[in-house]
This record gives sequence, C-alpha cells and structure tokens, in this order.
Amino acid sequence: MTYTFRFEDQIYIINLGEEDIQTNVEINGKKIPVEFKRIDENLYSIISEGKSLSVGIFKNAKRVDVFFEGNLYELESISERQKIAGKASDSGIQEIKSPMPSRVVKILKNVGDGVKLGEGVIVVEAMKMESELKSTLDGKVTEIKVEEGDAVESGTVLLSLSSN
Amino acid sequence: MFNKILIANRGEIAVRIIRACNELGIETVAVYSDADRPSLHVALANEAYHIGPSAPGESYLAKEKIIEVAKRSKAEAIHPGFGFLAENEGFADMCEKEGIVFIGPSPESIRLMGDKVTARKIAQDAKVPLVKGSEGAVSDVEANVIAKKIGYPVMIKASAGGGGKGMRLVRNEEDFEGSLRMARSEARSSFGDDSVYLEKYIENPRHIEIQIIGDSHGKILHLFERECSVQRRHQKVIEEAPSSAINSKLRRKMGEVAVRIAKAVSYRGAGTVEFIMDQEGNFYFLEMNTRIQVEHPVTEMITGIDIVRWMIRIAYGEKLTFKQSDIKMNGHAVECRVYAEDPEMNFIPSPGKLVYVRAPSGPGIRDDSSILSGSEITHFYDPMISKLIVWSETRESAIKKMISALREYIVLGVKTNIGFLLRVMNNEEFQKGDIDTGFIDRHPDLLTPPSIDIKPALVAAALAMRNASNEAEIAKEKPVSNWKLLSRKLAVSRNNLL
Repeated sequence: MTYTFRFEDQIYIINLGEEDIQTNVEINGKKIPVEFKRIDENLYSIISEGKSLSVGIFKNAKRVDVFFEGNLYELESISERQKIAGKASDSGIQEIKSPMPSRVVKILKNVGDGVKLGEGVIVVEAMKMESELKSTLDGKVTEIKVEEGDAVESGTVLLSLSSN
Repeated sequence: MFNKILIANRGEIAVRIIRACNELGIETVAVYSDADRPSLHVALANEAYHIGPSAPGESYLAKEKIIEVAKRSKAEAIHPGFGFLAENEGFADMCEKEGIVFIGPSPESIRLMGDKVTARKIAQDAKVPLVKGSEGAVSDVEANVIAKKIGYPVMIKASAGGGGKGMRLVRNEEDFEGSLRMARSEARSSFGDDSVYLEKYIENPRHIEIQIIGDSHGKILHLFERECSVQRRHQKVIEEAPSSAINSKLRRKMGEVAVRIAKAVSYRGAGTVEFIMDQEGNFYFLEMNTRIQVEHPVTEMITGIDIVRWMIRIAYGEKLTFKQSDIKMNGHAVECRVYAEDPEMNFIPSPGKLVYVRAPSGPGIRDDSSILSGSEITHFYDPMISKLIVWSETRESAIKKMISALREYIVLGVKTNIGFLLRVMNNEEFQKGDIDTGFIDRHPDLLTPPSIDIKPALVAAALAMRNASNEAEIAKEKPVSNWKLLSRKLAVSRNNLL
C-alpha cells in the first residue's frame, strides 16, 4: 500500500509491504527494512537499521500525530487530489491561525507591510496569557481577517502572508 | 494527629497532599469542580464533594463552599496547596473563626508578606539585603541624585504600577531625564498617578530561593536553596537543588538571612524566601511565598525531609524533631515542569484530551502528576501535565538521568514542552551551570526541534494508516450481532410452535 504524507511542506510517499511483523518500507523510493510490533492502540515498537524506538501514534481524521524522543510530528495524510492543491503552499502563501480559542489583542501589521521570518504579526490572549504569533516566512501581509477585540475559535485564519 | 483533612486544591498537588495524609493515617476529603469529576484527586481521596462550576471563582476560590464542605464532612483541617486560596489571608482567617486548622502560616504572616511594600520594610528592619533604590516616590531633583548614587543601569518604576507600564530602564546619565519624563507621563495616563521610584537594575540575575520550615514553638530552620533561574514568561520551568553557583559559605549566609526574615513575622509551616543574585554573588530579597512551592520536591530529594508531611504535623502542633545541623544535603535533584504548551508559539497553552500518556520510571525518578491517558487539560486551570523530578549523586549524572527520563515520556493529544526540556538539558551552557533568568531569551534555537531524521515518524504513520483501514474493513465485514440472530431464530421457532 502507498501512503502519502505532508510534513513541513514536504511530501513523502511511503510504500508499505503487506507483511505483518517484518516488512520493507520505501520512503520516496528508498528501501529500508523495518520490524515493528503494535504494543497497544497508541504505542508501536519499531526496529530499523539497528535502532529501536518506542513511538506514540494518534490518528485523528487526516492528521497523524507521531511522538518519540520528546518531539511531536504532526503529519497530514493526503490523497492524490490534495497533492496538487498542496502546491499552493509551496508558492509561498501562509495563513496565521489561532492556535486555540482566544481574543485578538493587537494586530501589529497592516496589509502590505513587510514581515520577516519569526517577526511578530499579531497578539492574541488565551488563558490570561498574551501570545505573539510570528511570521512563518519572509514576505508581506496580504490580508487581515480579524479586528482587535475579536473572539476567535481554534484554527480561525487571522491573517495571510505571502513570501517575497 | 488529625483524623480528617480537606484538600482545597486540585491536580498533582492535591494528589501529593492526599498521599502524605495516607502515610500519616489521616482520612482525606477532596473537593472538585464540574471539569474535575474524572480527576485523580477525586478518585484517591476517601470522600469527595462537588463544589461548583469549572471556573475557579465558583469552585476552588469559593471560600464559603469549601468551609461548608469541611464542616459537613467533619474535617479538622484544610490544606490549601498552592495557588487558589493558599495565600489568601481572608480564607486563613475564616478557617480560624470556624475552628478549622488552616495548614499554613497565621493570617497575619500571610498579610505582612503579601503586601510588597510592607515585606520590603520588614526585610530592611531584619537587615536583609535589598536591591538599592529610593525609599518610595521621588521628585525630579531627588531622582537625579539617587540615580547617580546607586549607579547605572537604573530602573524607573511607577509607584502605582504593574504589568510593565510606566517602567523605564536607563543605562546612562544622558538618557535619564528623558526616560524619567516618559515614565511619569506613562504612569499618569495608565494609573492617574505620576509618582515613580528608582531601583538598581540587576542584569540577568539568577533566581535563588531558600526553603524554610518553622514549627509553632518558635523553631525555624532552612532546608538550603533551590536554583530556579530557567524561566519562561517569568515563570519557572526547570528547578534544581543545590545551586551550582553557591558555595557552602554563601549557602549558610543566605539560609541565615531567610530564617531571620521568617522569624520577623513569627513564621509557621513551610515557606520560601526568594532572592535574586547578580553575577558577583550579591543577593537581594525579592519576596516571601507563604505556602508550599511547586518545586518543593527537589528539596525533599536532597534532604530526605518530607515537607508536606511536616506541614501537617506542624499544623497539629508537633515540634520539629531535628535541628539545623542535623539537616544534610545529599546529591543533586532536578525538576522539569512538563506542560501542555507550544514552545514554538511563545509557550502558548495547548489544552485538549491526552489520548495517551506514558510516564518514565526507574531508580531516582519521581513523576508528580495527576494526569493519565484520557485525562483532559482544560483552559480553566494551569496546563501542567507533570513535574518530573530526578535525583542522582552529582549534577552531571542528574542531568543525564533527566535526559533519559524525558526520552521515555510519551504524550499524545496535545503539544508539550518535552522536546524543549530535552534541548535545554543537552545545552552546553546549561550543563556548565551558566544560567540566569535571561537564559531562554538568549537561546531561541532551543524553542524549535532541530531538523532530524523523520523516517521513524513516517514509518509509524504509514503503519497507523494501514491499521486504521484494516480495522475499517473488519468492521464492514462483521455480520449483524449474534444476539440479534439468536432472537430472530427464537422468534421463528416460536411461530412454528403456534
């Protein structure tokens, strides 16, 4: 079976053998032998190229969260059709979304303003704490979709940026 | 000893207190809000009472409701934990009037230390070093003279201030006049009061605190220091004991100063005197916390003294059974606060359901938590998942143990700071002990995971996808329930009988 994932704007195509315990895995055409065991619903033991890892997995609709060695990797499972749509993000348009239900405290940029990677663009408040959301690219602000004082849900698009 | 204690708190600290009560043979009473019905502290206590909606104001801060439960359940004492009502003199007072023992200091000690100006005055009278500054508000003329006297850099602060408003850092004399004018105008527009005072600015200080413990018979001892310099959002995230910046001479001196300030308010129970320390080892009084601290376990690990158990024994009137010279420091302890938060997004909380949690274990590893697989981190409360504490013979080996423990941790469902904590533990400056309150700001690289080999993540994700589709297939193929088939068969045979 072939599975396609997107992680940080990179597409990965994984080919998985049919076998149950020991299988050949192909990542973007490169073969690696893998031995695995499902310990319970969310825990896999994976042994590959001499390395053994306990990996936590949580699949939620199209998102697959994978956790090991302290870090969480949020992979997006994508279909053939989405692969083409995925190109849009490669062209350098990024949306800044609210990470949780919050209130817009201050919008630091106007439409057309230049932004640098890591520069703060908007301040939101949630759980009594203010957070500055930062630009994920070098470019400019193309659209602002909220106003100061607005209450927003998790995942609401706050503003759009485009790269230089 | 008390027969029954009510714990007016939630989360891991409520669990910590329940365990101490169990060890002392005391019955426990939990209180809980709507959101906390499934919480561990409710399950572990002998009795549990619902006290209201999830918002703390209507439950964990509702003094009357808690007192009412204490009376109904015949609890003789209340342990407030930290946060919520722990430093609320009104609540301590109410308990006293109702004949319930408040496990903590007297309402008077809480009041004296709670007011920052009064606390500063007490510290000064007790000859405790304070950051140099003006005595209260100053005129423009005075300000100039005082600034020169205490030396730059100087911080101008609004007397009525808070939240950084009306605050100006001045690095040299040329900038002083302009900054003073701006601070005043900002103070006037923010607080309607333009009076300001001056304080010497300490560049990137260390945050060092001394744990003290006093009984109600006048004996007050210190349990050495904790180093809490690694902070984000002005909140501690990694603590350790002892501090690598303190030698035994300085330790004794700071301990004596802390005991002196505690004696000045006739302190009873566990408390913490916080100091800031400059690069030269000069230390200054910051404030006193009149409660058990989040980071108390590191002190317990190096002294072998169970602070929570002693709080209860002291509240009952027992005498401390040891003296200062009996308290020995052994090895090194480190605590990491594991939070549901996103370091890449300025540590914004990440509430949600924890679909899977696997906590580390092993010799010298202590995980103080109330979180299990299926628990929920709600936006009503602090998003802490656990306090992971390790003990080892040396600082170096304790850090190694912490790295090993953090790597064992698995948390799914929310974002966590585990990767960030691991990167701090692996940081060379941290390992050398070169830390101060500016550490995280100086190392923005620690906030993002390094681009590492994501192969295992991809393999695991593909396996999970295949598994999910297999399960969907099985579900599709499954025939109607056997019970249904059986009842149909019976129905048919019954018809035949007719």
